Amino acid sequence: MKTRTARALGSALPALIAGLCLSVAHASSNKIALIPGGPHPYFAPWEQAAADAKKDFNIGAVDFKVPADWKLNLQTELIESLMTQGYDGFGIFPGDAVGINTTIEELATNKAPALALAGCAQDPTKAAFCLGTDVYNSAYLGTKALIEAMGGKGRIVHLAGLLVDPNTKLRMAAVEKAVKETNGVVTLTQHITDTDSQEAADQKINALLGAQKDQVDGLIATAYIPSVVAAKSLRNLGDRRIKLVGIDDDKIVLDAVKDGFAAGTMAQNPYGQGYVGAYVLDLLASGTCKVKADAPFIKTPQTARFIDSGTLLIKADNVASYKDELKKVTNDLRSSFKTKYLDCK
Amino acid sequence: MTVARRFFTQEWSALAVAIAIGLATLSALSPAFLTEYNLYVVLRSFCVVLVVAFAQMLTLAVGQLNLAVGALGGLVAIAVGGMMEKLGLPTGVAVFVGLAIGVAGGVLNGLLTVRTGINGFIVTLATASVFTGINLGVTESIPFYNLPPDFVAFGVKRFFAVPYLLIPPVIAALLLALFLARTVPGRYLLAVGGNPHAAELSGIPRDRIVVLAHALSGLLSAVGAILAEAQLGSAQPTIGADWLVISFAAPIIGGAALTGGHVSVAATALAVVLVVLIQNGMVLAKVDPYWVQFLLGALILSAVGLNRFRAIRIERA
Amino acid sequence: MIASVDMGSSFRLKAWLAEQSNAIGLAGIVLLFWIVFASLAPGFISPFNLFAMSRTLAIDTVIGFSTMVVLATGGMNLAIGAIGVCSVMFAGYLMQVLSLPGPVALAGGLALGSLLGWINGFAIVRTGVNSFIITLASASLFNGGMLILTKAVIFNGLPPTIAEFGRMRWDVVSPLLLVALLIGSALIVLFRLTALGREILAAGANARAAELSGVPVGRAIVIAHTLSGLLAASAGLMLLSRLGAAMPSVGQDWLLPSFLAPVLGGALLSGGSVSVVGAMIGALLVTTIRSGLLILQVGNFWLQLFLGVMLLLAVLLDRYRAVYAERRSLGRRI
Repeated sequence: MKTRTARALGSALPALIAGLCLSVAHASSNKIALIPGGPHPYFAPWEQAAADAKKDFNIGAVDFKVPADWKLNLQTELIESLMTQGYDGFGIFPGDAVGINTTIEELATNKAPALALAGCAQDPTKAAFCLGTDVYNSAYLGTKALIEAMGGKGRIVHLAGLLVDPNTKLRMAAVEKAVKETNGVVTLTQHITDTDSQEAADQKINALLGAQKDQVDGLIATAYIPSVVAAKSLRNLGDRRIKLVGIDDDKIVLDAVKDGFAAGTMAQNPYGQGYVGAYVLDLLASGTCKVKADAPFIKTPQTARFIDSGTLLIKADNVASYKDELKKVTNDLRSSFKTKYLDCK
Repeated sequence: MTVARRFFTQEWSALAVAIAIGLATLSALSPAFLTEYNLYVVLRSFCVVLVVAFAQMLTLAVGQLNLAVGALGGLVAIAVGGMMEKLGLPTGVAVFVGLAIGVAGGVLNGLLTVRTGINGFIVTLATASVFTGINLGVTESIPFYNLPPDFVAFGVKRFFAVPYLLIPPVIAALLLALFLARTVPGRYLLAVGGNPHAAELSGIPRDRIVVLAHALSGLLSAVGAILAEAQLGSAQPTIGADWLVISFAAPIIGGAALTGGHVSVAATALAVVLVVLIQNGMVLAKVDPYWVQFLLGALILSAVGLNRFRAIRIERA
Repeated sequence: MIASVDMGSSFRLKAWLAEQSNAIGLAGIVLLFWIVFASLAPGFISPFNLFAMSRTLAIDTVIGFSTMVVLATGGMNLAIGAIGVCSVMFAGYLMQVLSLPGPVALAGGLALGSLLGWINGFAIVRTGVNSFIITLASASLFNGGMLILTKAVIFNGLPPTIAEFGRMRWDVVSPLLLVALLIGSALIVLFRLTALGREILAAGANARAAELSGVPVGRAIVIAHTLSGLLAASAGLMLLSRLGAAMPSVGQDWLLPSFLAPVLGGALLSGGSVSVVGAMIGALLVTTIRSGLLILQVGNFWLQLFLGVMLLLAVLLDRYRAVYAERRSLGRRI
């Protein structure tokens, strides 16, 4: 008996000590800020991601700070103010891909690492890298799914976000590519842009459905709000003929997928972006790790250091389980991050 | 005078002609334009703008510029939404309180203007910031999504092509026309706007009338906000953010004089119809949406120019 | 009368103090806020924060000037944001698409701003229509025109010197602040020492009297609006150097700050009286409060409310002061 206890203790003790060492080693005094470009329902999961990252990785503080409006000067003022308040790691959705670089440079001068999350800063940039959805790929896959749902033929309308957003231009190109690949069987009637605000979406989508309902066979929405508004409008019309593929997982869109008013929606990974972003910022801010110069980044038109945070098509058959699938993607991303992208002491 | 002559001497005749041309063009451009569903969509897009235009029209009538129309609207929208969602108040109560907030905001504007003698422009610029500030501070830009189903349904239901949403603005228009033409306070309002000094000398309580105008304007802002909320199905803090230009454009295109004393409910309503039709047409004709802003500015200038031209001709005659 | 010379100089000093009372009072309030903010959050007076504030201050001051020169004529200019963004996009276009050197492009931007301002002034004087309507309409026209022509594309391939100037830092201030101060000095000279400045103020104070006295009121108004356009373009270009890119979103929220600074500084809305120094201190007060509240974590969402209340108080105070001054002067028969 004594030997068994001794052996049990013998195996348990090192694990305990290792566990203690691990938790002590990870406790940091860093203050990380996650900053969207402005108020938008897409970023809502960042709040939970911040809280979870703080808990899971023992970070001093991880806070979700939202600029009062989608104006670049409000975002930069907020960032500058946070820096003065002692924050030393910044996860930013750039209010403008180029305009944000001046501020990121200032952060770099003050030894505060910055990451572009969910949207990229334009190269040359001092942002360590960009962690986001490969919007081109997501729009491409979404359009292909729509074409499939339409039975391979018909007329599509693309509902897009702000025209001045570089992501929008990428999405427009992706939709056009998918349509081109059908060799004329499927046609793209028009891109309707600037629909990512409630009033604009309501006006434009209803005007479209009102006057051209019978000339549209499919809708591909590559922004949050038009996905929601289109789903609602189709439900109000009782229309299951027009196929819709949207983006993001607002409850209204998911219900539409369940009830057949939408063929599917492309989920992004906002939680993962916030969670993994905070994790990496903490490591960078402590000086524990540096970004590998030769890491396997993806090259996009905006930056040479892009990391895909994952995307997935939610259809009627995985509406219930997609959250778990995304969580798995997030966990895989985090656990392999150090070895793949970082040089750590 | 023949009917035709009478028609053309009316101020809004140019507007009516423009609208007729616009409707004809749109029907030609898109065969589905005259379908029931599309007419419903088009009519639905008038509702909020009509009420907003009337709100501004009332303050213009007394020669005041009201920059707080949108901000007050936004505040009422989130207040009503918040009451229904967070406090669980029944729709009727929430709407009533919302209207009361609108009136209170208007009274605040009016009192500040008359008591301090400061130009209504600056007073409402400041109060607009205050209202928006409260709006943002309370909501942190997060909309209220869970509104009672019967409230949301009101924004969608229709009687053939006529949306239920159109009923309040039409009633408002009729009441306003009656108010301005037939009631004593209404006539006082126009008198104060036209010639404040003469009005005062005639014994009209000028200050009280200005406050009344602002109060009614606030009430209409509130109505517009509640309609917008029903239309969108959620209480967006951004409601009202883009009401400013259109709130001035419609009455001005409808012939209102900035100095006051001269407004027309019918002309304002027709101006709203024209602008909204143009916006609708833009989407249908797949025209670059940025033309809308440009055209709006051009419309205002031509309307003002036309009115000046007409005024000069009358003077010369 | 004894020592009329002595009484003269002390009298003049008192008169000058009385005239600057508004600016002095304002400066006192600014100082008070600085003490409060610095004691509550030492980061407020950190070199970086001072630098950041100086940059915002510079731009907001010039925006305020743009409205101020029009307020002097008793009118208003709602198109400053639109003129600003047009100048910015034009300069960006010249630099990026036509590859013109920086100074040439900047001059082009300033020229366009002046032209647009001139159009406003000309329209106002020729048609006799209220400046509110004209500039409301022209704001839509200019902004819409800009969007149509540029298709809302951002020019971000500008020569790096532009962005470098915006990032430049002289310890605690930005060179942009020097630019703003230079502009301010030029305006002080204009309004105090030149005939043109006096004509603009006269046109605002009492257009009819001015006209009867031989002041070319129409020309004064046109020049005031041209100047306003030039200043709006300057503010836009300063913002351009700060951002390092030409963006179509510039100018959208200039309306409130453009009025706040001059009105706080004592400009009369009816026209005829402006204070350049007052406007600068007013802009400083606004920047101070914004920065301070942000640092104190009062919440970036409540800022707007504070600014609105501040404007109200400023206007009320101004009104009170005017009434007080009137009462005092009625009792002083000098």
